[in-house]
Amino acid sequence: MPKRDGDDGAVLAGFGRYAGPATLILSSLADGPKHGYALTKDVEEFAGVRLAPGTLYEALSRLESQGLIEALEPAERRRPYRLTAVGAAALRAHLDAQRRVTDTGLRRLKTNWGTA
Amino acid sequence: MSTTRERAERLLRWYPRAWRERYGEEFAELLVADIEERPRSAARTLDVARAALTARLAMAGLTESPVPGGTLANPAQASLGALCAALGLCLALSAAMWSQLAIAWRWAPRAFSPQAALGGELATLASAAVLAFLALAALAVIPVGLAVARHFTRRLAAPALVLAAAVTVLALGGHHFIYQWPGTGGAAGQGALLPAIPSGFLAFTWSLTYWFSSTWWHWSSLSALNPQDLAWMAASPVALVTAVAAAVTLVRRAELPPRLLAYETRIAALACAVAGILVAGGGAWVFSGRPPGPAQGGLAHAGLTDSAATALLALALAAACRARETALRTLRRRASR
Repeated sequence: MPKRDGDDGAVLAGFGRYAGPATLILSSLADGPKHGYALTKDVEEFAGVRLAPGTLYEALSRLESQGLIEALEPAERRRPYRLTAVGAAALRAHLDAQRRVTDTGLRRLKTNWGTA
Repeated sequence: MSTTRERAERLLRWYPRAWRERYGEEFAELLVADIEERPRSAARTLDVARAALTARLAMAGLTESPVPGGTLANPAQASLGALCAALGLCLALSAAMWSQLAIAWRWAPRAFSPQAALGGELATLASAAVLAFLALAALAVIPVGLAVARHFTRRLAAPALVLAAAVTVLALGGHHFIYQWPGTGGAAGQGALLPAIPSGFLAFTWSLTYWFSSTWWHWSSLSALNPQDLAWMAASPVALVTAVAAAVTLVRRAELPPRLLAYETRIAALACAVAGILVAGGGAWVFSGRPPGPAQGGLAHAGLTDSAATALLALALAAACRARETALRTLRRRASR
């Protein structure tokens, strides 16, 4: 669990190679609780990336252990997961940092290459 | 043709039990849906195999990946258990190869050519490395033994009893078979390479590692052994593995203070360095085909068993280094909280 508000941005960065899947999962759960298959389909729809089952559950397990998501009661053998307040803060900080990179890249492209 | 659910269940079995108990049902549902959508997918199989291996390594304390809540009471101790198993294997293999070579060195002629002098230094270095390894093992085991005795609980009784039984079998068996081979007959031979090592100690090490032999691959040699020897060749590795497994269980279950865990990681760093010297020596022996010393040809010829043992030694060393790093990171993270 992050200690201070200022640490939020570093939480997902600390996931290393799992940061990508973790960001996609948190972004999907920002829309409401989902179980594994619904998560896969949602991520595929909005990001064009299909999370393989093993990778998805590795990331879910990490996110759960960090308190960024929580498991709800299972329904018909499928367990939904929900974004926590800590997870929402971490996702916001991570996406803000990514947006700064995106904005900078697009601005420089426009200045030097005439496209954006 | 197996059903979709059977295929999902088969993939699920690759994960450790604790992981399956927590995530198994929901993960199987996801796999069933995925298999129905994409009946043939090598990428999915590889992904599940990789993730399952990561989960198993995490349960063994070899990675920092999260494990299902409450499965590992103390992740640093799980890493220390893995360290104990890996270094135990390193020590057993090193002692087995060294005892055979050292006996050959003892029987080598006292005066050997100047070209063999470097080999003589390597033989002394290998002997010093094995003795240092044993000393480090004692330095690691004694404080853990004291901590276990100080905070003894019923959960520790079974592994402690198994460990005591396995060590007793090894001690009695090792003593019984100590001079079964003419080479270990207690005579010093002509070699003067290892004056500091008592011949009894050397013979006992050889007897404990009697299982380390190419005899297994030669039916005629194996059938020529008397039943007692054969029984010891089969029983001693079982006793050794049992002792290490019981020690690992004790380390994982015992209440060990953080300072002791930090001390153990420092001892492990030294042990890994010593094991590195032994891997290098074993590698030089296997690749050159000649023993690192003045021993004569056939007695210390590196064969398939030695090559396999050297490869296993290198793998065990890699696992030990990995477990030590994981233990250190876990301890640092715990200290920073």
